[in-house]
Amino acid sequence: MKTRLENILGILFGTIFMTLVALVTVETIARKLFNVSLQGVDELGGYALAIGSTISFSLAVFGRNHIRVDVLHQHYPDWLKALMNWLSAFSLAAFAVFLCWVAIQVLLDSVTYGSTAQTPWATPLIYPQSLWYSGLVIFAIVTSCFAAWATYLLFTGKQQELILEFQPKSAKEELKEELDDLAQRSNLDEIVKKA
Amino acid sequence: MNSTLIILAFFVMVFMMIAGIPIAVSMALVGIVGGIAVYGMPFMNSIAPVLWGVQNENLLTSIPLFVLLGELLLRSGIADRMYLALSAWFGRLPGGLLHTNIGSCALFAATSGSSVATAATISTVALPSLMKRGYPIRPSLGSIAAGGTLGILIPPSVNMIIYGSLTNNSIGKLFVAGIIPGLLLTASFMLYIAISSLLSGNALREEKVSFKDKLIVSQHLIAPLIVFGVVMGSLYFGIATATESAALGVTTVLFFVVKSGRLSWPLLRSCFISTARVSGMILLIIAAAFILNLTISLTGVAEVMTKWVTSLGLSSTGLILGLILFYLLLGMFMDVLSMMVATIPVTYPIAIALGIDPIWFGIFIILMCELGLITPPVGMNLFVVHGIRSDSGTISDVMWGALPYAIIIILFTLLLMVFPQLVTWLPGKM
Repeated sequence: MKTRLENILGILFGTIFMTLVALVTVETIARKLFNVSLQGVDELGGYALAIGSTISFSLAVFGRNHIRVDVLHQHYPDWLKALMNWLSAFSLAAFAVFLCWVAIQVLLDSVTYGSTAQTPWATPLIYPQSLWYSGLVIFAIVTSCFAAWATYLLFTGKQQELILEFQPKSAKEELKEELDDLAQRSNLDEIVKKA
Repeated sequence: MNSTLIILAFFVMVFMMIAGIPIAVSMALVGIVGGIAVYGMPFMNSIAPVLWGVQNENLLTSIPLFVLLGELLLRSGIADRMYLALSAWFGRLPGGLLHTNIGSCALFAATSGSSVATAATISTVALPSLMKRGYPIRPSLGSIAAGGTLGILIPPSVNMIIYGSLTNNSIGKLFVAGIIPGLLLTASFMLYIAISSLLSGNALREEKVSFKDKLIVSQHLIAPLIVFGVVMGSLYFGIATATESAALGVTTVLFFVVKSGRLSWPLLRSCFISTARVSGMILLIIAAAFILNLTISLTGVAEVMTKWVTSLGLSSTGLILGLILFYLLLGMFMDVLSMMVATIPVTYPIAIALGIDPIWFGIFIILMCELGLITPPVGMNLFVVHGIRSDSGTISDVMWGALPYAIIIILFTLLLMVFPQLVTWLPGKM
């Protein structure tokens, strides 16, 4: 379920930016070579970021990529490690819910005033903003689930699991991911041999 | 609002970060609490427009695009062979393969921008052959750790985009400003290797490679150089904005990936997911930084701090020297990205008030981040390079090996203070 959601979000994220890359490339070349401009690609770039970034917030939660400094953490006693991991999961969820709570104002204002973008397209802002907001809601749900799981582990005394599953990502782990990927790139052995 | 309170708030934030609370949460929390303390609940109403504004900023779209560019180049294996090509060119210099470490890190950096990926890839390719040929261990490890830091100075650099967006400076100018210092710092590292190898009395050199063979292996440099040329060329000649140049770069890499026959669905999917993870981490920190920035600008923190610093009678030189010390200490304990976003909103206005050039200050901040990557105990590149060692040496080897380079970075910063034109000349020509 987790992997599936991660894949879906990842593909969605990739599709958004690959489409943007194609549009921007065509627009830049057309503008320079043929003096024709597809107007509004800049505007689309902004929307792509708004939607893509909120999706990426959730993906970073799955990968434990939201940075935590581990200089002290690695020296904590176990109970404090567990407690700090829970606090981090909880505070990230609280932050995500907070973002949803303040961001609803943007949506309500757009509906009330029928706001449109200050661009040639005059896009009604409610469309991109609803998608952006959906991304924030997904982020809040994902972080809340993680926080709930951490709370469950904390109160059922499953300290070791809380330490393992929620620890800050260390340089060692990041390195391992890089090395696994390196090992999969087929030509590496051959290069090491030649060098 | 007085300066003691502000400094206290800053230390509370840094304490939360070092204690292990997520960086984004620490920044946003201090921003929100500070804003409410001064303006009460109405402060909340001003957060939403700022949030939409920063997330809808076309300029920041360049961040995921540059990350994607680096991922594609890295995961498709195009970048791996650069080491081989460069060793053919640099191997004859005194210090042999150590130059190749620096050179390939610099070139890798020019296209990827991720220090961890750079150090991990180069170490994996380089360490076995360095060990086999009897290169001394400390300089070997040190040169890779230090070479990996070049990634954030040589454009395209995500750290520069973050600096530009926080301070409203042109990304194009920042990128172009990084070229000369990036090349000079690379050259300084290589000069140090040559001199120290000659002084050691046992300067290792590689065997001679014929010119024809050099040309043959150099084909592996074509793709990375063209990508770099497309990105920087389109920016320098004003053909494209930062975001557009990133998109052109991605298209160019895709062309090479297709041409090499390595384009596959699993490759794309893993690039997408890792791009999203890295961008999500960066963009959430940026969103939090803008919330903090809002409080800082509404409450006049920057003005108070600027007044405080000027009341100390500091000159711009004094300020920069003080900041070198400040960042050196902070970089020992904080991850560099967090260090940047947490300090720029306050240090930047002070620097500008004292008449320091904004682009120059950007390069200065980047150099301080490079320093942070190789200063213990928290130096990301030290951990990475150490992690790849197959023998059972201690981490102090890479720390000692990287120390001369840390000193070179500080001396190089002083050089840029004496000759600021090294930074400002090229962007001035745009």
